[in-house]
Amino acid sequence: MANCNGKKYSSALVLNLMVILCCLSPVLGEGQFTESYLYSLSNFSGLLPYNWPTLAIDEERHEAFVIYQNDVVIFNDSGMEVYRFGDDMDLGHVLAADAGQGDDILLLTYKEGRSLLWRCNYRGEPLAEIALAGLPAQFSDFTPNRLIYRDGQIYLASQNQMQIVICAGDGTFIEGFDLFEVCGIDEEKRGNINFSGFSLDKEGNILFTIPTLFKANILSRNGMVRSFGKSGGAPGRFNIVAGMVADSHGNYLVADKLKCAIIVFDQDLKFIKEFGYRGPKPGNMIGPSDLAIDKKDRIYVSQGRGKGVSVFRLEYRDSAAHGDSLGKLSQIKGGMNRV
Amino acid sequence: MKKFYKINLVLASAGLLTVGVAGSALAFHSGGVANCAGCHSMHSPAELGTYLLIGSDTSSTCLGCHENAGDTVPDSYHISTADADMVVGQGPLQRSPGGDFGWLKKDYSWEVDGVAYTEDGDRHGHNIVAIDLGYTEDATNATSPGGSFLAGDLQCNSCHDAHGKYRRLADGTVATSGAPIIGSGSYADSAVPAVGQAVGVYRLLAGNDYTTDSFATAGAFYTGVPAAVAPATYNQSEATNQVRVAYGAQTAGGVNRWGTWCASCHADMHSSYSYTHPVDWPLAEIADLYNAYVSSGIMTGIVDTAFLSLVPFAQNSGAFATLAANASNTDSALTGPGTGDEVMCLSCHRAHASGFSNMLRWNNDSEFMVENGFYTGVDGALAMGRTEAEFQAAYYDRPATDFAAFQRDLCNKCHAQD
Repeated sequence: MANCNGKKYSSALVLNLMVILCCLSPVLGEGQFTESYLYSLSNFSGLLPYNWPTLAIDEERHEAFVIYQNDVVIFNDSGMEVYRFGDDMDLGHVLAADAGQGDDILLLTYKEGRSLLWRCNYRGEPLAEIALAGLPAQFSDFTPNRLIYRDGQIYLASQNQMQIVICAGDGTFIEGFDLFEVCGIDEEKRGNINFSGFSLDKEGNILFTIPTLFKANILSRNGMVRSFGKSGGAPGRFNIVAGMVADSHGNYLVADKLKCAIIVFDQDLKFIKEFGYRGPKPGNMIGPSDLAIDKKDRIYVSQGRGKGVSVFRLEYRDSAAHGDSLGKLSQIKGGMNRV
Repeated sequence: MKKFYKINLVLASAGLLTVGVAGSALAFHSGGVANCAGCHSMHSPAELGTYLLIGSDTSSTCLGCHENAGDTVPDSYHISTADADMVVGQGPLQRSPGGDFGWLKKDYSWEVDGVAYTEDGDRHGHNIVAIDLGYTEDATNATSPGGSFLAGDLQCNSCHDAHGKYRRLADGTVATSGAPIIGSGSYADSAVPAVGQAVGVYRLLAGNDYTTDSFATAGAFYTGVPAAVAPATYNQSEATNQVRVAYGAQTAGGVNRWGTWCASCHADMHSSYSYTHPVDWPLAEIADLYNAYVSSGIMTGIVDTAFLSLVPFAQNSGAFATLAANASNTDSALTGPGTGDEVMCLSCHRAHASGFSNMLRWNNDSEFMVENGFYTGVDGALAMGRTEAEFQAAYYDRPATDFAAFQRDLCNKCHAQD
């Protein structure tokens, strides 16, 4: 009995210790991370019923870019359309856009079998083509369809070729990744695999998902990839993953098109929560695909069935590890509130 | 500067640096039933949905993977162009042999001599219902033409067995059990099953006794899986090389002919049951015309190079090895038909959708496909509201110069009346 009691006491001690450790953990729990639906991108006629547009954020000006059927549509900090360009085919089919240096806008188009990179002014008028230079033989047929500009460097991705190229602002090749090689994918399986999502976290790691493998991936510039995710319908598991972004707290948010949810993981890749889910309510989602996030931790969610782009505000009840007192909401107010 | 540039191709060290990816690369279906959780959710399925599916309906679930916004070129298993990538005046992007369902969203209107004409997108293919993706019920036909399958019930799984139970056993027969499926059987480089093994049938197509609620209502049923083999890369522009799917013809061991299979829903269109164009029928003397036909007015072709993927035919065999020898995306197998090879529904129609009415592979509504060396653009009766770019997309990027300067429709590939 004594032994038995001793076991009970020691078990209770361990349990208490675990609870205390959990409370002290810097990891955000479900209750510490909340999201709220703000609005959907609109113009003066109402919600714009896009189906899976591509997204980008101009962090400097707190503007969102939506690329859809050869239009680049720019939305202000409150989610209202303020400008659009690109509806002719002079430059080709517009694939992606991002804010460049100064007032420039970078544009990626596709014309006559080639992807073309353009530097445009703030009106979207082309100033110059940026020709990629110095591409190694491995990337000689590189045909990118996604674009990010960050700190003077242009990140280009070809989701179906599973390749990423980083170049200088003038198009000079700096670095390239063959994701088939990086992810160790067998040669004979490559025909059925491409990647989805394409974004950077604040450390400059490249985020992407591979839907058919049920994986989300964090690729560092030194070529190491952290991959996570398991298939399944339970919370935290993946059905068909798509876009992926990181918030200012280092959490990773992964869109699941079939589950119709955003799945949130902390920086240690531990599951925190899911939100969204299929339905007609404003905060519900239909096939969330591309994601973008701004400096105010507002996440933009591209969806199907005419649901357009929904914007959610992320809020954090900070733990001590984040430097604020417990219980204080650290969210920078988004939406209609300008800072 | 150059020394700072590097190519981060992780080669030998990839296994050490990769966490959790290596070794997990498997195709989703692999010839049989896929990961259940890819399509179903035990605890969070779509509200008001069926079968615990995650999508609003079956086809929306399928297209969750088989359509991808952001594609720029034909891409592997994608068979539909996303709305976001549908550009006015341009064709959909995918070039799979079945065709891009995006054509269903291409409505055309034009005017000739003051008379307005329209052609609704739903005339261009099988109108699958995929609510999440914007595909809706056929607005014209309430039931399958020539049959009684309800248009509102048409889903991807009306033709494909989403669970992939049909398998080709080592002896070539098709059954729903008998051995485990080791992989896809659709491709020329697919594994050959040993005794005690099986591979999936072509494209997970449905076979004997396949049923869904919709089939029960329609009284339609399949009497076998049709035979075919595709090259490993099949979704590509045909501007340079054609994609040849080697279709077969066999009526035994759980396999049946293509026309008979289509007639499960379109019975009255099959020549065995009504007075229509023959299908599942030997080409006989037509084979000589097919082989000699090059283009309008040019009959100097030879059998070795006669194949045209805009007018495919069924080989008189269901043997995998025989078909695999002709499945190519490099123009390495362009041999034309023999007299025993057969005409089938797919000789003229695409299975999913095409750029033309009745999902035909070519424009049968105009006198000319090519006029004075060009695809007929925008204006006039021949253009039918289309741009040159759309015509070229519908012909899988072939330049107009692949045809005669005044090319008439491709009925003539077999009938040579031009």
